Amino acid sequence: MTTSDDRPTMIEFKDVHKYYGDYHALRGINGTIRAGEFFSLLGPSGCGKTTLLRTIAGFEGISSGVIMIDGKDAAGIAANARPTNMVFQSYAIFPHMTVEENVGFGLRKDPRSKEEKAKAVAEALEMVGLKGFGKRAAHALSGGQRQRVALARALILKPKVLLLDEPLSALDKKMREHMQVELIKLQRQVGITFILVTHDQEEALVMSDRIAVMFDGEIAQLDDPETLYRRPANKKVANFIGTMNFIPAEILSETGDKVEIEAKGLGRVALDIAQAPAPAGEAPVVGLRPETLTLLYDDQKASERETEGLIDEVIYLGDMTYYDVYLGGTDVEVRLSMRNVPGRPVLEVGAKVRVAWSPSALVLFR
Amino acid sequence: MAATPRSEARTGLKLISPTAIYVILLLAVPLATVLVFSVMMGGRANVSFPVTLDNYAKLLSNWAYSYILLKSLLVALSVTAITVVLAYPVAYFVSFHVRQERKSLWLFLITIPFWTSYIIRVSLWFVIIGRDGLLDQALMSLGILSEPLNFASYGIPAIILVLAHAYAPFAVLPIFVSLEKVDRSLLEAGQDLGESRFITFLRVTLPLSMPGVIAASLIVFIPTVGDYVTPKLVGDGKQPLIANFIETQLLKLQDFPQGSAFAVVSMLMVAVVSVGFVLWNKRFIGGQK
Amino acid sequence: MKKAPILKSYTLFYLLFLYAPIILLPIFAFNSSKVVAFPLQGFTLDWFREMFSDENLGIAAKNSLIIALSVASISTVLGIFAARASVRYRFPGKAPIMGLIMLPLVLPEMIIAMALLVVLLSLGVPLSLFTVIIGQVLVTTPFAVAILTSAFQSLDRSLEEAAMDLGETAWGTFRLIVLPLVMPGIMAAFLICFTISFDEFIISNFLGSGQPILSVYIFGQFRFPAKVPSMLALGTVLVCFSIILLGFAEYMRRRGIAKTGGKDSGGFL
Repeated sequence: MTTSDDRPTMIEFKDVHKYYGDYHALRGINGTIRAGEFFSLLGPSGCGKTTLLRTIAGFEGISSGVIMIDGKDAAGIAANARPTNMVFQSYAIFPHMTVEENVGFGLRKDPRSKEEKAKAVAEALEMVGLKGFGKRAAHALSGGQRQRVALARALILKPKVLLLDEPLSALDKKMREHMQVELIKLQRQVGITFILVTHDQEEALVMSDRIAVMFDGEIAQLDDPETLYRRPANKKVANFIGTMNFIPAEILSETGDKVEIEAKGLGRVALDIAQAPAPAGEAPVVGLRPETLTLLYDDQKASERETEGLIDEVIYLGDMTYYDVYLGGTDVEVRLSMRNVPGRPVLEVGAKVRVAWSPSALVLFR
Repeated sequence: MAATPRSEARTGLKLISPTAIYVILLLAVPLATVLVFSVMMGGRANVSFPVTLDNYAKLLSNWAYSYILLKSLLVALSVTAITVVLAYPVAYFVSFHVRQERKSLWLFLITIPFWTSYIIRVSLWFVIIGRDGLLDQALMSLGILSEPLNFASYGIPAIILVLAHAYAPFAVLPIFVSLEKVDRSLLEAGQDLGESRFITFLRVTLPLSMPGVIAASLIVFIPTVGDYVTPKLVGDGKQPLIANFIETQLLKLQDFPQGSAFAVVSMLMVAVVSVGFVLWNKRFIGGQK
Repeated sequence: MKKAPILKSYTLFYLLFLYAPIILLPIFAFNSSKVVAFPLQGFTLDWFREMFSDENLGIAAKNSLIIALSVASISTVLGIFAARASVRYRFPGKAPIMGLIMLPLVLPEMIIAMALLVVLLSLGVPLSLFTVIIGQVLVTTPFAVAILTSAFQSLDRSLEEAAMDLGETAWGTFRLIVLPLVMPGIMAAFLICFTISFDEFIISNFLGSGQPILSVYIFGQFRFPAKVPSMLALGTVLVCFSIILLGFAEYMRRRGIAKTGGKDSGGFL
């Protein structure tokens, strides 16, 4: 994942709040989205991600704060005058028009000649892989085709930002995976900022340059996918993105750039300060992703640290095996890819095992 | 900027204002006037202060007024009961025994009479059941009767017959709609549990379709209780109902205060019965979530 | 589908009961006897001729058309305002205002007519076709609002947002997106208000000051046995007219559904 941090800012939120009556939907949003970035707003339903997207589009006003779009305060600019276009969750294809009329809808006031507009429509349709579909009635399209029409209709206006509100949620799994790849390609091709709202963490990780994870109207963490996964800012983010084992720990000492802890079952570990995000005032625990752990077979040696344990449960998935291992006072989940241990038998419940782990994979939440 | 609540309220009010002003000026103000007149003194075509409850006292003490109200209520409730009971099997048949694609055709057939002139339909009954009408001719030529029956002069039964016919299609639609909503798997479940078809109907279908039955009752009751044409045409006009009586009071006698008081009491009666239906309906809706 | 012979015969019998008076219309409208009686005499078009030469009937029909067209237009426009406002916006006083607009549905028509009449008489407003129109609009508007509300409700809100997002103004969005999509609802509302107004008797009778209006005229004529056959001829014409109108309304509704790719969810109303 490459992120060129020198790209100019496209959208900036400064302490954005939004109330619906007494309900505080957005609670002080700060952050920037860069030009040409594939950006995702990720979070569970009701976290405010769609509301935030709609404030960018101009469909929702904000109660306080500032949204800058392309260097201008958006407050005075109506939805129909913003350099943003939206792909709606329902696609919002105009049912009484043909595909062509839908795609060309935004060109109505364009001063170009009819022929030039027709050409632009044809090009937009070709770009989304709907060449020759122009004369079809909009209501006769499949879900995937509707989405392509919605994309073409938005992109033909050459917006600076394309807003996508859960665009893949209405598609079946196979189609969804296919469209993920298509959307990434499309974004590279047109080179503009894409802002995607999704509740699907996998989708966000696959597609995005950077992701803002939102809970309860706040951005919990804004980072590139790898950092989000490896160094989640808090337990909530860690739990929302993938799975994480949490092991109770005790902080022994903190000196400059090192933190020394005693974690249950793992013993004493010295962590880099980068592994300990800002304190939240909670009882300290260390987090470990299940796939950073390995089970050692008799003849194997741990490259860094190892701990003895007992197998509590085995879930065999073919390419993967999930183990619940009891490590002196706490259960951890270990995910073993069979690729890494070719030819080795699946271990049984009750077996004594050694678990290998790396101190650099630990994250300390406190 | 998109609609914040305050500007949303302003746009909404602006949008509804033409309709709202219309009904306020031409409905609310007249109704309020009737209410005010009903507590004033008055003679022919005029009203005067002071405010008084005499008009209402007179309504309560004079049996003639109560008689009209009770009679109208009775007629309307009978018509309602008859139309609903007659309509239920029809709605049931269309909902359960007609193929999906044929349903709208059946409903169309049932509703067409409703869309043909009400005056003509009612007047035609006069041709049928009036003196020497088709009914009398038929009965006499068959030798069943020797004298004309002149059923139209029978007053209340004739009024009920004509009204029940006039409002019949109103009753089928709401019942049909509620039957359509009955989950068919519930019926299969009922029969699967060993209940007979009839018991299943009594215990599952009928209760689930009660909201439709009550809606149908309301839809039939309100226009029948205020019907003007039928009592005038059949029953030799000797059985005035509420609407005819209001006409007499307000237009013929021009007793504005007394007529207004009667109108107010009639409205209250209709409102009480309607609210009763609605509350009854709530019980069924509450029961099925 | 299960067979239900008893239910089916009952339903057919019920339909016969519903149609019985209407069936008499064409039978006796073409019968040459002056009295409505079996057996039928012979075929004649005299009653239609008499009907068409009746000058007062012509005036009444013209008046009824004027009233029905005005009432349907005004109610549909008022209905569009009210339905759009109630579906799309939240504003203070919404429930009481909508309640007042829909009130005539649960109010005996006689009371509406009398209340309005008392005020008009007190204000010294002369009764005319105009007073009939304003009275009937009160009665038909709730029907228009009900039909249009469901039309506006079935409109996906994001379609409007999409149009705005693509650069349209609020008016452009309404004209290009909202209006075409609710057009079948508007047509249906107009036709239903027209039919109700055309049939309406009480307000026509009491707020019309004896102006010839079709329903009032028919009511009066049925009292004279000599006039009955030509009234039956008129009835025949009116029934054909309403069936054509209804068929047209149903056709519009289906076309509307087909155009937007929706599913047919049952019949008219």
